[in-house]
Amino acid sequence: MQADAQKLFKLEKDSIPLMRGFQVSFDLFGAGQMMLSDYGQYEAALRLNLHDQWFPIFELGYGKADHEEDVVTGIAYKTQAPYYRLGLDFNLLKKKHQSNRLFAGFRYAYTSYKVDMYHREFDEPIWKWKTSFGVKDEKCSQHWLELVVGIDAQVFGPFHLGWSVRYKQRLAHSDGQLGKTWYVPGFGIWDTSTFGGTFNAIIDI
Amino acid sequence: MNWKKVGCVAFLIFLFSHFLIFQTSCTSIECPFEHDVMTKYNLYKSNEKTDTLRDTLNVFSHRINRTDTLLLNSLCGKTTFRLNVGYANPEDTLFFKFSNTDYLAVDTVFVKKENYPHFESVDCNASYFHNITAIRSTHHAIDTIIITNPSVTYDPNTEHFKLYIKDRR
Repeated sequence: MQADAQKLFKLEKDSIPLMRGFQVSFDLFGAGQMMLSDYGQYEAALRLNLHDQWFPIFELGYGKADHEEDVVTGIAYKTQAPYYRLGLDFNLLKKKHQSNRLFAGFRYAYTSYKVDMYHREFDEPIWKWKTSFGVKDEKCSQHWLELVVGIDAQVFGPFHLGWSVRYKQRLAHSDGQLGKTWYVPGFGIWDTSTFGGTFNAIIDI
Repeated sequence: MNWKKVGCVAFLIFLFSHFLIFQTSCTSIECPFEHDVMTKYNLYKSNEKTDTLRDTLNVFSHRINRTDTLLLNSLCGKTTFRLNVGYANPEDTLFFKFSNTDYLAVDTVFVKKENYPHFESVDCNASYFHNITAIRSTHHAIDTIIITNPSVTYDPNTEHFKLYIKDRR
């Protein structure tokens, strides 16, 4: 069983060169999310192709959330910041030297962001004192790990479409005096772990 | 035309659009189930054993407009109770009214605290956490009140005060 696993991940020896080029991709899902909701991200990636087996990847994105004063809770939340991911994908298909891929991989991700949060003035429920609170430019940060599974299908020529599903696990975080944050750029809505996805337009170079 | 490829691409776009609509339209509101921030008083005898309320206890306070607000209504026969905490005022003034068929005593309890706004989510109502810095009271029925844990959060199980009532027997 160990031998099978080693065989799976071993660089195949054939006449195909190691460096097979690289891909540039853009996430359409995050951009769509930005148009349809209070938050989203613009994300691009640069992926190296090593022998159609290993794909080191660098993802750079810009996440943004702008939740105007909530009708029910009266809370407004705003943040925007870049985020970075570095990782490696592995082609799971047996026939590796083809234009379509099924891959699995991981990412290490980091973001440092500032939060503006404000709660409109309200009557405290028991004593009826008027109170409100808010923070401006509260410094926060987060490190997390992602496990990725995805596909990459050739449409025509160098143009591909693909999607990925990701499980994100928070490793470390700093939320300043807020106690918690709501949207973390690149991670999504705050939690210790969450699922996410991307839908990518990809160009082979 | 490679219809297999066209079908594959169309399926990808179909999946993407449904996933996008699902993600942006469905939100799970993850507000804490226990979101009341209250102080917990446990009753003790002088020998540190648990005591039980023998009189009827009502606790009230004054609102900002000086009208009364009832925080605890006719509690009797219990060993513990919880009270609300003011969000932003630095000191809560509470009136503990102990009554029985032939007995009436009212003690004033002053709870000094620091207040910290706590944010969970844009979908969850505002709340405050507190750090109790001091407590003092009059002593008509109350013998002593001691702070055991100054941090007041959502946790309903943490004891914050030990309350010793005078033994009238």
